[in-house]
Parts: sequence; structure tokens; C-alpha cells
Amino acid sequence: MPAINIGKAPKNNAVLPFYGTAAVFFLVLTGMLLVSPTALVGHYFQPHLLAMVHTAALGWGTMVIFGASYQLLPVICERDLYNTSIALLSYFLLTFGAVLLILSFWLFRTGMTMIGGGSLILIAALLYLVNVWKTAGSCKKYSVQRCFIISSAIWLVLTVSAGILLAVNLRYPFIPGNHLEILKLHAHAGLAGWFLQLIVGVSSKLVPMFLLGRSTREKWLPWAFWLQNAGLILFIGDGYLNGITSRVFLYEMLIAAGVVVWLLYLHDVYKNRVKKKIEFQMKYVFISTLALLISLLLIPAIYYGADHQWAIVYGVFVFLGWISAVILGMTFKTLPFIVWNERYKSMNGKVKIPMPKQLYKEHVLNWQFRYYIAALTLLALGVLLHLGIMIRTSGLIWAFVAALYCYNVMVVIFHKRRV
Amino acid sequence: MEISITDAFYKDKQKALIALYRVVDPELFVNIVDLGLVYGIDFAREKSIEVTMTLSTPHCPMGEAITMGVRNVLSIEFPASKIEVKLVFDPKWDHWMMSEEGRRQLGI
Repeated sequence: MPAINIGKAPKNNAVLPFYGTAAVFFLVLTGMLLVSPTALVGHYFQPHLLAMVHTAALGWGTMVIFGASYQLLPVICERDLYNTSIALLSYFLLTFGAVLLILSFWLFRTGMTMIGGGSLILIAALLYLVNVWKTAGSCKKYSVQRCFIISSAIWLVLTVSAGILLAVNLRYPFIPGNHLEILKLHAHAGLAGWFLQLIVGVSSKLVPMFLLGRSTREKWLPWAFWLQNAGLILFIGDGYLNGITSRVFLYEMLIAAGVVVWLLYLHDVYKNRVKKKIEFQMKYVFISTLALLISLLLIPAIYYGADHQWAIVYGVFVFLGWISAVILGMTFKTLPFIVWNERYKSMNGKVKIPMPKQLYKEHVLNWQFRYYIAALTLLALGVLLHLGIMIRTSGLIWAFVAALYCYNVMVVIFHKRRV
Repeated sequence: MEISITDAFYKDKQKALIALYRVVDPELFVNIVDLGLVYGIDFAREKSIEVTMTLSTPHCPMGEAITMGVRNVLSIEFPASKIEVKLVFDPKWDHWMMSEEGRRQLGI
């Protein structure tokens, strides 16, 4: 018998719905951009832009991350996922919650629909936390990755809880402070707590695996963890008590230092990799990293700039640059393997079977990358220069990118066994 | 993995090794023998084959597919034998364990 547990991934019905639904939400997001390009010009607190941000954060980013985490956690921790049923339940709650919340933002119906949608998402986040805690919590190895993954799940719960309070406040004002100031704290708990820490934790385990890379600098990762969390906690604490002041740069520096430490670790892995040929999907990781660094550099412009466009450009680079690039690329480093494992694993060695890489259309992925770069660049420039025609054109390209992505995802999910 | 010509099970081990070339790591597209993942093949027990092997990383998501591939190819060559796969991580796999052909395929 094997000396350790391997192949502990959960059944595909706890994973694939997340990937499929996230792809549809991405298509919906680009549709919103096409229908309402003017939402990206002016103040960021407007119904259609709020709907777009929540589609990107919940329907797209969080949805695919839930699915990928349920698949990867057991692999990373070498043990079964704690509970497949609650993973599936979190899918339904997140999907219905996101639909309710996005619709209520789009139509700006404050009240029970918005609060109800947020509450469903909160239950989904709590179920996710339970699964993560019970699976990764008892994991003896890889303590840094475990810390990142657990803390990101806690930040998600905190972010959604704050979001619900803000939704209640829109209908029944009770928060003594400025709603928009609290909104910034809510947004950054999600970005630097949930998304950043999850991406750091998972990538610091998966990138060495994909590249067959080794690094002697893994001991740097705890620094990344403490710097990112210290910066975020100080930002939220100070921001809540005293409002957003220029001290925000100090906290940003702490978080940025945590990001740099993580990137230096990944660079060391890259330098010491065995697999010299880099796969196409890794280009997305490069774009994602670049977009994250640009976002961090934009923060002073948001603080000092009188124009709200800097905040929207920041949002574009965060959601459509950093988070979307990593999903657009890594989907095809995870999803084909998940499907292949179910359809072909038992036949390995018996007959000639396709490899995971042959389950998706590689040329479509190549075109998706080119259009993605064009769409991101045009949108950022269009928002920055207040050029409606440029935003509208980028919307068309975004819709095309989303269509290519959806097509490739569905090709993989509905792949029929070929022997 | 090398098999001595003086080994009592030389022929069987050679046959098993040739079969194991058909098991490909789905992530790296290189067979497990050239990757250096196979540490040993034991025919000492009657009607039983024990393959001692490793994975390129302990949490390899393709681990079960690879060990299943080992069982599958050996069951075809040795239908009367019980196939056991013993996964070990000591010694830890390193790229120098790969054959020349494996390195060439990975572009090292």
C-alpha cells in the first residue's frame, strides 16, 4: 500500500460546477460592460459599477477559487476534503446569493433582496471556512501555506460580514462613520485578505510543483504572511477609527513588502526550476503579477488625485488584470487534469489515451491571451482618458475573450471519453 | 533503475521495466522510467510483484493516475501476479535521477 495518501481529490461534482458557473459569470460581467460602459466614467459608487465589481469578485473570482480550492486542498494537505456535501451546498448558496446581490445592485434595490443575497454568500463563506479549517487545520506539513489558506478564508468571512452590514446600512442607516470609507475597508479586506492571501498560499505550493522548482527561500514566506496581515489589520483598524489618512501609505508599504517577498520566492523557484520549457499558461501569471504591481503603484494616485478615474483604473487592474489573468491561465492548468483524472485515470497504461493537455483547444487559448491583452490595455486607457468609444470597444473585445474562455471551459467539462 | 544480469529475476524484471516505459506522467509527458521515478521491482514473493517508486512531488495530483498506470501495465504482462505499488519519498526524487532521454525530453 502507498506509504502516504495520494489522489485525495473530491468527486468532480463538488468542483466542476464552480468552474462552469464562474465562466458564465465572466461572460455576464463582460455583457454588463458592453451594456453600461458609462458606469466606468465618474464616481465608483454607482449601481452598475457596484454590480460589475460584485460579479467579478463573487461570481467570477470567488466562484472559481472555491472550486479550485476544494480540488487542491486535499492534494496539498494529503488528506480527504472534510466534507464534499457542504462543498456542493456552498456552490448553490454562493451562486444564488451572487445572483440576488448582483441584481439588487444593478437595479439598486436596497433592502431584503440585497441583504438576503449577502446572507446566502455569508453562509457559503462560513461553509468554505469549515471545510478549509477541517481539511487544512490538521495538516502537519506546509504550515505557511496552511496559514495563508486559513487566514484567507477568515478574511472572506469578515469581508462578506462587513458587506452585509453595509447593505443593511444602505436601507436602514446605522453606521456612524462615512459609508464610503467603510466600503474601502470592506473592499480591501477582500482584496488583500481573501484574494491575495489565497493566491499567495496556493501559488507558493503549486508553482514549484508545475515548474519542478526548488527554492531555499521558503523561510521567507512567513515574512510575507505577517507583513501582509499586519498591513491589512493596521489599515482596517486605523481606517475604521480615524478614517483614511496618509498613514495608508505605511500600511500599503507593509502589504507591498509582503507581496515583494512572495514574488522573490517565486522568482527563486523559477530560477531553480528543472522544467526549462515554460508553458503558455505561465504567461498569464506574468501579466497577473504585473497588474498587481501596477495596482499597488496606483494607490498614491487614488489618494491624491481629485479624479475618481484612478480608483476605477485601480479596480480594472485588480479585478480584470491581477485576479482575472491568474484565473484565465490557471483554469487550463487545473480543469483539464480534474476532468482527465475522472475520465481516463483508470485506463492509464492500458490503452492509448489523450493527455490532459489535449482536452482543451490550445489555439483558442492562444487567441484568448492576445485578445485579453488588447481588452485590458484598451479598457485601462479608455477609463483613464474618459474615452467612451475606447471603453465600448474594449467591452466588445472583453465579450470575445469571455466567449473563447467559456467555449474552452465547456469543451473540457463536457469532454467525452475517447479511446 | 538498473537491473543486474546476474539477478535471479533478470528476465522478469526486464519485462516489467519495458512495460513501465508505457506509463507516462500526464503532467510532464515523460515516462516514469526515464523520469527516474521507479526505484525497484521485487519478484521475491511468489505470484506477487512489488514496485517501489516515488513521485516528482509528494502531493502530485496525478499520483493515483501514475500508480494505477503501473498496476495496469504490469497486470497485462503478468496476469497471474498480484501487483503492489509502494510509494516512498526517501530518497526524495531529484532531477539528476532522470535518464539522458528524460532530460532531453524536458529540455534540461
